[in-house]
Amino acid sequence: MQNDKVLLLQLQNKDEAALSALYDNYSGAIYGVILRMCKDEQHAQNLLQDTFLTIWEKAYQYNPEKGKFYTWAYRIAKNKTLNFLRQSQNLIQTEDLSVYTNKQENLIVEPEFLKLNGCLKQLDLHHQKAIELVYFQGLTHKEAHLEMEVPLGTFKSYIKQALKKLQLSYEKAVVWLLIFIDLIR
Amino acid sequence: MIDKVYILKNGLLEQYLLGELSPNEELQVELVLNMDSDLKIELETLEANFEKMALENAIIPPKKAKVELIQKIKSNQPKIIPIQKNNFYKTYLFAVSSIAACLLIGSIFMFNQLNNSKKQLQVAEDQKELLKRDIEGLKTNLEYTSRYFEIINSPETKQYILTGNTLAPTAKIVSYVNHKNKSVIINTKQLPKLDKDHDYQMWADVNGEMINMGVIDKENQLLAMQYVDAAESLNITIEPAGGNDHPTVSRLLTNVYLN
Repeated sequence: MQNDKVLLLQLQNKDEAALSALYDNYSGAIYGVILRMCKDEQHAQNLLQDTFLTIWEKAYQYNPEKGKFYTWAYRIAKNKTLNFLRQSQNLIQTEDLSVYTNKQENLIVEPEFLKLNGCLKQLDLHHQKAIELVYFQGLTHKEAHLEMEVPLGTFKSYIKQALKKLQLSYEKAVVWLLIFIDLIR
Repeated sequence: MIDKVYILKNGLLEQYLLGELSPNEELQVELVLNMDSDLKIELETLEANFEKMALENAIIPPKKAKVELIQKIKSNQPKIIPIQKNNFYKTYLFAVSSIAACLLIGSIFMFNQLNNSKKQLQVAEDQKELLKRDIEGLKTNLEYTSRYFEIINSPETKQYILTGNTLAPTAKIVSYVNHKNKSVIINTKQLPKLDKDHDYQMWADVNGEMINMGVIDKENQLLAMQYVDAAESLNITIEPAGGNDHPTVSRLLTNVYLN
């Protein structure tokens, strides 16, 4: 988004309105990632707030040359959520082992709203799964290929093929959008 | 060595985007990206798709999350640490400078005190010196007085009173003559004052010749005069200041015969 640049300059100058606008644009996308990772609404909301506090305080660290705002924010959110999950897992394991089984159950029962949407749904299931693991679960490639029980090379090509298909569907969507706009005229 | 082929083959762009790479790998990927615009475009496409995918899968958080966030930012705002630090430094500086100022003022005060004490000590020293001299003077006086007293009180001492003639009717001099000790002491208490150009001088008459017994000191009431053997009478004349070789008979004031 072009006006992100302006918003980010304002954010770096401690403009609260800029933060508010960036929140409105991206909180949904980031919350989608955090909630899919930690699967707990209350914790996810805390982590979301925490992420935006960091964005507010560390805005000067963001370098637009290196990438988009969303990528930067996504990394902050992912790191915070992974840290949180590691900590809570440690707590569960050291304090009360019986809770662990409950957590497993929680993992199995996934609420409907956590299901993936958009063009992702058009992908083959194993491609969907690969994308979900690395983008929405915060797993590294090395962790994810073990999770899917395929070799790392195979996993990497899953990701590549999935992204290529996504790319094609986004292009198609743009074409459909252009046709649609043409029709309206 | 990380190059374009390696990056594409190993899916490093995807991992770079997700922040999975180590800082070192990240740096190397960035180096290649800066030199290769094709790769850069590839990454930008990936990034754009990544964002689209995320937006498609957005879950809208409850409104209260945003309200709380804005509140947190607002409540955090006044607590900016540098201001506290500043305040801390200001207080610290203020305290230090106060102490320094106190020390400086204290030092000046002490220095003045020291100077005053030194001056007072000097004054005390001077006074001590003066007192010492006074005591010495008094001692000398006492010695003289004691000696005069001894002579005056001696049973061998004879007392003669010289009364003034018409030149000085009020004049009255008491003289003590001790022939054994050969000493003469006179009391000039009732001798009229003279101007500074004139002095009283005392003479002894020996066989018609006037022998000088000395000029009478204007300052002292009691004084010793020169003893002259075989003196027949004591005489006092008024002479020019400092005394004369021969008495001015016309200005004879008083005389007494010794028997």
